[in-house]
Amino acid sequence: MKERIGVYICHCGGNISDYVDVEEIGKMLKTDDGVVISKDVMFACADSNQKDMISDIKEYKLDAIVVASCSPKLHLHTFKNVADRAGLNPTNYVQVNIREQCSWPHSDKPREASVKAAGLIRAGIKRVAYSESLDNIEINVKKAVLVVGAGVSGMKAAIDLARLGNEVYLIEKDYFVGGHITQTENLFTTGQNGKEIVSRLYAELKSYNNITLFTGATVEKVSGSLGNFAVDVRVKPRFINGKADLQAVQNAMNDCTVLVDDDFNFGFTKRKAIYKNYPGALPDVPVVNADALRNEKDFLDKHASCLDLNQQDEILSLTAGSVLVTTGFDSYQPKDGEYGYKTFSNVVTLPELNRLIELNPEKLIYNNKPVKKIAFIYCVGNRQTKGENKYCSRQCCSSAINSSLQLADKYKGMAAFHLFRDIRTYGKQELMYEKSSKQGDIYIRFDEKEPPVVEQNGKSINIKVKDYLTSKKELEIEADLVVLVTGMVARDDSKQISEKFKIPIGTDKFFNEIHPKLKPVETVIKGVYIGGSCQGPKNISESIQSSLSAASKINALLKGGTVSLDPVIARVNNDACTWCGKCAEVCEYTAIKEIESGDKHIATVNKAICTGCGICAPVCPVNAIEIAQFTDNEIESMIDGFMEKIDLKVREKESESTEEVSGVKMKEYPQLWKNILGTMNGSKLTIPEIAEKIGVDKEIVTYHVMTMHKYNVVVTEGMDKKELYYYYKLKN
Amino acid sequence: MAKVNPEFATEIKKYGAHDFNACFNCGNCTATCSLSDNTNSFPRKLVRYSVLGLESEIEASLDPWLCYYCGECSTTCPREANPGELMMSLRRWLTAKYDWTGLSGLLYKYLPFTISAFLATALAVILFAFSKSFEIETIMHFGHQFEMWAIISVFTIILIPNLARMWWFVILKPKIKVKFLTYVKGMQELFTHMFTQKRTLGCDDSQSRWLIHLIIVFGYLSLLFTTVVLDWFGTSSLFIILLGYAESIVLFTLTFIFVRGRIKKNKELNKFSQPSDWLFVIWLFLMAFSAFLVRIFIDLDLIETNLWLYLFHLTILVQWAVLIVPFGKWTHFLYRSFAMYFEKIKQTA
Repeated sequence: MKERIGVYICHCGGNISDYVDVEEIGKMLKTDDGVVISKDVMFACADSNQKDMISDIKEYKLDAIVVASCSPKLHLHTFKNVADRAGLNPTNYVQVNIREQCSWPHSDKPREASVKAAGLIRAGIKRVAYSESLDNIEINVKKAVLVVGAGVSGMKAAIDLARLGNEVYLIEKDYFVGGHITQTENLFTTGQNGKEIVSRLYAELKSYNNITLFTGATVEKVSGSLGNFAVDVRVKPRFINGKADLQAVQNAMNDCTVLVDDDFNFGFTKRKAIYKNYPGALPDVPVVNADALRNEKDFLDKHASCLDLNQQDEILSLTAGSVLVTTGFDSYQPKDGEYGYKTFSNVVTLPELNRLIELNPEKLIYNNKPVKKIAFIYCVGNRQTKGENKYCSRQCCSSAINSSLQLADKYKGMAAFHLFRDIRTYGKQELMYEKSSKQGDIYIRFDEKEPPVVEQNGKSINIKVKDYLTSKKELEIEADLVVLVTGMVARDDSKQISEKFKIPIGTDKFFNEIHPKLKPVETVIKGVYIGGSCQGPKNISESIQSSLSAASKINALLKGGTVSLDPVIARVNNDACTWCGKCAEVCEYTAIKEIESGDKHIATVNKAICTGCGICAPVCPVNAIEIAQFTDNEIESMIDGFMEKIDLKVREKESESTEEVSGVKMKEYPQLWKNILGTMNGSKLTIPEIAEKIGVDKEIVTYHVMTMHKYNVVVTEGMDKKELYYYYKLKN
Repeated sequence: MAKVNPEFATEIKKYGAHDFNACFNCGNCTATCSLSDNTNSFPRKLVRYSVLGLESEIEASLDPWLCYYCGECSTTCPREANPGELMMSLRRWLTAKYDWTGLSGLLYKYLPFTISAFLATALAVILFAFSKSFEIETIMHFGHQFEMWAIISVFTIILIPNLARMWWFVILKPKIKVKFLTYVKGMQELFTHMFTQKRTLGCDDSQSRWLIHLIIVFGYLSLLFTTVVLDWFGTSSLFIILLGYAESIVLFTLTFIFVRGRIKKNKELNKFSQPSDWLFVIWLFLMAFSAFLVRIFIDLDLIETNLWLYLFHLTILVQWAVLIVPFGKWTHFLYRSFAMYFEKIKQTA
C-alpha cells in the first residue's frame, strides 16, 4: 500500500485546461488518502517539470506517482523514465489520459469533462496505491538462429546473421537450395538468371563457418521459447554414400537409364533417377530417386560403392535463440478446366512458360508445334472477389510482361496478347509495360464478371473476350499457346509450419505479422520472425528486404546474450492453485505448464512466452492466477475510486477561445518579452529587425512575438515594402 | 465477333503510322480533340481498332476523314503514340482501300514504285514529243486535249467507281437503311463541305490554315477552268490572260508556304511528311509555276525556241493527272466532302 503519492495534472498548454478545470481538481485531490502533493502544471512533459518531479519525489519521499495528461501511447515511457531517474520503480507510476478521454471528446461540456477527469484521476491514485515494484524479466538467449527455408530470402538472411556472429542453422525442404527463382531464366528488372543469383549466394553462404545447411530437411517438432527453442529437424537421405567420391557418383549418374518425370520442369521433360534439379544445382551432390531404382539390381550392384538405398531419415535436435521462417509460397495451381488448363493441350501457367522458354533456346516449340501467338490471361487464382484469394500477388503482371519481352527478344515473329484486368507494374517495372506495349504487344482489358472463354479450335486455341477498352466489343483471338498468369498462394504445408511454431495465419493462409506497418516481421510468438513471401505476395526484392529486416531484428535481440522482458505477465498463486488445467487450455501461447510442487500439481508460467494477455485470469475457478499490474486489488480499487463522489466547484462557463482573451494576466513579462518591448519603444518593427536588434535567433523571436500578439501585448500595423513581414508595435 | 489481327499494325505502319502501339487508352487525345463529339468519338477509338487490327471496323468508319489534323492529340499524348499521324495514315490506308485498281496502295507503300511510275510518265511525254518531231504547235494542242480527256477518264474510270466503293464500305456493307430522299437532301452538305472545308474551322489551331487552303482550292479549280475551258495558253483575250496570271501567282505563292511549312516542320501536322505529301504540294507548286512561265514565254514569243519549258510543264501535268489525282493525295478533296455527306446520311437514317 503506497502512502506517499504525488499527483500531477497537466494543462497541456490549454488542450486540457481550456475545458477541464485542472486547478480545482488539483486542489480537490490534495485531501485524498495517501496524496502528499497534488498540483497542476502547464506542460507535464516539459524538461523543467520533469526536473521538478524528480526533486519532489526525493524531497517528499514519494513512493508512487500519477500523471494526468495525454495518452500513455505518447508519454508513458517519458514518466516511467522520470520515476526511474528519481530512484522510484517505474511500475509505481500510473498515467491517466484526460486529454483524449476528457477535454478533446467533451469540449462541448466542460463541466462534465472536469467531473469525468476527476473520477479517472482518483481511480489512478487508488490503483497506484496498490502498485507493486516489479523488475524486468531477464532471459538468457542462445546466439543461434534457425532459418527455415533456403530460398533467396532465407539465404540472404542467413548470410547476414552469420556475418554478425550468430550461429545459423539453415534448413531447406528440397534437396537443393534457391527455391522458385532457379526456375526462371530471366528475372525482372535485372534480366539475371535466377540460377546465377543462387550460385552467388551459395558461394557466400559456404564462406561462413557458422552456417550449417541442411537440405531435404523439415521441421519435426518445436519446443522451448525465446532464447532457447529446441527444434527437431527431420533430414531425408540422398541415398548417396557420404564417403563416395564425386566422380563415382557422376559415373553412376551417367550410367543411369531409368527415367522419371522431371518435376523441376513441370513434367515437360524426363530426368534420370539419379538427378540434380539442373546441372549447376547446389549443393553439388545428386539425389537418388530410391523408389525408381529399387528394382534395378544390376545397376545397384555395379554402383554399390556410392549408392546406398538403405539410408534412413535422420532426426537432429537443434537449439536456437530465435527462429526466422522464410518458407516462401506456392504458385497457384489452376483447377482442371480453369481456362482450359489440363483439358486443352495448349494451356500452361506462367511458371511453366518460363521453363519452356529456358528449355527452347532457338524456337519456342510446345507439343511438337511451333508457337508464334501467345495469349496471357492475367489474375488467374487471384483478386477473386468471390473466390478464396482476394488479394493481388503484386509480381505477376511484371513477371508476365517480362516473359513477353523475353519472348520477343529470344524468338522471331512472336505476337503476344495480354488479357488483363488491371496492369500493376508499379515503380520501375512500369518501364517494362511501356516497352512491351511499344513493341506491339496487344493489351485487352476484361472484367472479372466477364472473363475470357478459352476454346479448342483444331490445333490452336480460340479465346473470346469482351474488351472493356473498345466498349466491350466481343473479340476473338487465335493463339498457339495460352499462358495463365497465376499468382502466389500460401504453401500447402503452411498450416503445419504454423502449428509447429504457433504463428497465426490469416484468412488468406499466409503467416501474419503483428502489425503490417509497425511490426512487419515480428510474430506474436516472441523470438519467431517471418520474412519473404511466406507472409504474403512479394517480389524478390521485397522478399529480401523483409527477411533482412527480420535478420537485423533477430541480431539486435540476441546480441547481448540476454533479453529484458516486460514484467506484465501472469502469476500463479501456488497455495491457491489446484491444477485443473483450464488456464493451460485457453493459453494461445502455450505458456502455462503443469508442474509438481511438493505434494500437489500446480500451474506454472513460462516467463519468456507469456505476453500478459490476461485470458487465463478469468477462467481460474479458484482465482489462483492474476496478471502483474492488473491484480484484483488494483482493478477493484480503481472502480471504487471512480465511484466516489466528486465534490468539485468548476467554472460553469468557459472563455477558452483565444480570440476573446483580453489581455495576458502576468505579474511580470518574461525577460525576452521585456527586451522585445524595449527595442520597439513606440516605433514599429518587423520580426527580422527585432531579431537583429536584440541579437536573438529569428525563430525564437517569431514564436514570442506571435504569442505576444495572441495575448494582445503587441499589434500589427501594415507590412514592409516587399510585403514579406508584418510590422509590430506596442498595444496602447 | 471481330478477330484480333496483330499484323494490321505492321501493314498500317507502311502507310506512315508509328508508335501507336504505345497507347494505354487514357483518352487524352479524344478529350483534347475539338472535332470529336459523342456520335463521332476519335482518335482513341481508332487507335484501339488499329492496335487490335479490326479492319472491317476501320473500313466502315468515316472518322479518319472527320479529323482535320491540328495535331493537338499528338502533342498531349502522354505515351507519345502519335494519334494524329495514325489518323493521317488511316486516311492513306482508306484511300488505298477504296481504290479498286490497287495502284494507290502500291504508290503509298513502296517508294521505288512511285519513283518508277513518275519516271515512266516523264519518259512517255518525251517519247511522245519525239514522235511528233518536237513540233510545238502539235504538242501544245495535244496538251490541251489531254487535260480535257484526262479529267473525264480519271473521273469515270477511277474516281467515281472508288466513291462507289466508299459508299459500299460505309453504308451498304454495314447494312444501313437509307431512303432515296435522304441522299438528295444530304447533297447540300456535300457541296458545302467540298467548296468551303468549313469543318477545318472547328480545329483549335489556326484560322489562317483554313483560309490559305481555301484560296488554294479555289485558285486550283479556277486555274484548271481557265486553262482547260478558256484555253489560257491559246487565248488572245487580255482578260483571260491576266486572270490566268493572277490565279497561277496566287497558287504557286500559297503552295510555296505549304512546302516551306513541311520543310520547317513548323506544326504537328508537318512533322512526319510522307512521299505522297511531298509530291502533292511540290507538284501543285510546280504545275502553277511552270504554267505561269509558259504563258510568260508565250507572251514574250520565246516559247518556240524554248520547247523544253512546255515539255517540263506537260510532264508535271501528266504526272499530276494520271498519278496524283486518281491514286494520290488529291482524292482527299472528294473523300473528305463525301465523308461529311455520308455521315449526314448515316445520322439521318
